[in-house]
Amino acid sequence: MYIQAGARTDLGRVRKNNEDCYSVDDGLQLYVLSDGMGGEAHGEVASQLAVQTVLTHCRQGANSRSTPLFGEASPDVSERTNRLASAIRLANRKVFETASADADHKGMGATVAGVWVDGQKMCVAHVGDSRVYLLRAGTLEQITADHSLVAEKVRVGILTPQEADASEMQSVLTRAVGTSPGVEVDTDEQMLFVGDTVLLCSDGLTRMATDPEIASTLLTSSSSQEAADRLVDIANDGGGVDNISVIVLRVLEKSEGLLDRLKIWKKYSG
Amino acid sequence: MSRLLLKFEKTNLKEVPLGSQPVTIGRAPDNDIQIDNLAVSNYHARVYVEAGSLVVEDLNSLNGSFLNDMRVERAMLKDGDSITIGKHEILVDQIHDATAPAQEMRKAPAPRVNETMILDTEQRRKLLDAAAAAGERSQLAPERLRVPTLTVIGGRTDQKEYRVSGKMTVIGHSKMATVRLRGWFTPDVAAQINKHDDGYYLGRGDRIPKINGASIAGPTKLNDGDTIEVGRVRLHFTFRD
Repeated sequence: MYIQAGARTDLGRVRKNNEDCYSVDDGLQLYVLSDGMGGEAHGEVASQLAVQTVLTHCRQGANSRSTPLFGEASPDVSERTNRLASAIRLANRKVFETASADADHKGMGATVAGVWVDGQKMCVAHVGDSRVYLLRAGTLEQITADHSLVAEKVRVGILTPQEADASEMQSVLTRAVGTSPGVEVDTDEQMLFVGDTVLLCSDGLTRMATDPEIASTLLTSSSSQEAADRLVDIANDGGGVDNISVIVLRVLEKSEGLLDRLKIWKKYSG
Repeated sequence: MSRLLLKFEKTNLKEVPLGSQPVTIGRAPDNDIQIDNLAVSNYHARVYVEAGSLVVEDLNSLNGSFLNDMRVERAMLKDGDSITIGKHEILVDQIHDATAPAQEMRKAPAPRVNETMILDTEQRRKLLDAAAAAGERSQLAPERLRVPTLTVIGGRTDQKEYRVSGKMTVIGHSKMATVRLRGWFTPDVAAQINKHDDGYYLGRGDRIPKINGASIAGPTKLNDGDTIEVGRVRLHFTFRD
């Protein structure tokens, strides 16, 4: 199997600057998305620094497995997932230090959602309310739990999902990268199958589009890029009140290219 | 059950329950809510449920329909909204029921605090504690302190018993599977168990597993004592002390 990635970020219709940032590394099969905050262009400093730090640390880890982890490894997840979580903790430290060093940048922070595909396994780590969804057999499942006040209230049964959707407290995060010296990173792992679609997105999409709209868009698009473009359009049609970023990953059957066939031929022709 | 209350100068005139059929409002006698006033068109407006949300739609009336004093052609309604038609008022009384799943509701752009903000840990704890004290907190399941275990009760596997630890437990032929299935034609990943904050969820792989004899539709939470079937392998899921 292989991953076909499509991605797009958009200003939306209300904001004056785009504080979202994403990165697609097809070679490493590493996909990172971040939604910055802090106002007056500092949100974008935070999100870019976060994405860059995650990327650099994961690349180093992939090149040399002895690259030390930042923070404690969890026995619950694989080495790859631990590396991704370590990268987000490091990003937290870097954003926090930058924010503390410069009065202009005080208070900036970012969400980070990262997906790293390792063979058939998908490693997931996140902080904040940017989400990762998995669409499998027609069913869309959010596999990250938002670190927002309303989502935490829903989880403990104080708010209904309907009330959460209507709440004016939606922008209140309970965890973010860069706002305190340390951060707890949530991790998850899933096996991927041909036909699956994975979506990473900022809240600019999920506030404007319902899960059924997202699912049907992913199901009816002919490529990952088309799906990403259409999701951004839906969010803008719905009002586009925030920056919108999406990364769509489709898990496709690996077709044997010419090189593979040559290798097989060489192997059997001795 | 939700209902519409027709009021005129604070007097309740009529109560109409909201069902699957649209409620029509107008001057003609065949409306569900008839308002005999010349300011009201024969077929003035209607209220109906669309994709789980209550909607008011003006039927090109001459004098318009007003939602909370704003003229609307079509608008989503919520509990407590007031629709004004002529000099009459129609109140939306939505009694919370579970029939409208959140996913089906068209999201209105929620009013928002303009900028994203982050609570510090102390604020967060206070807010959640206060909220938890107000509501009931049911998450502290005793299972979390015990070890989930899979006991093989049928089929060919490499062990008779497995501890479920970690975020993901793979059942299949793959080398990375915890529960390794044997035999020809067994898929690499037949099924998987994922640990969430509130428990363990069984999800499909290349096979659709069954819990207590029923095929799962999507990731399904496992309960103490469940029997899992994946192909010919049967496993007993229990929490051990």
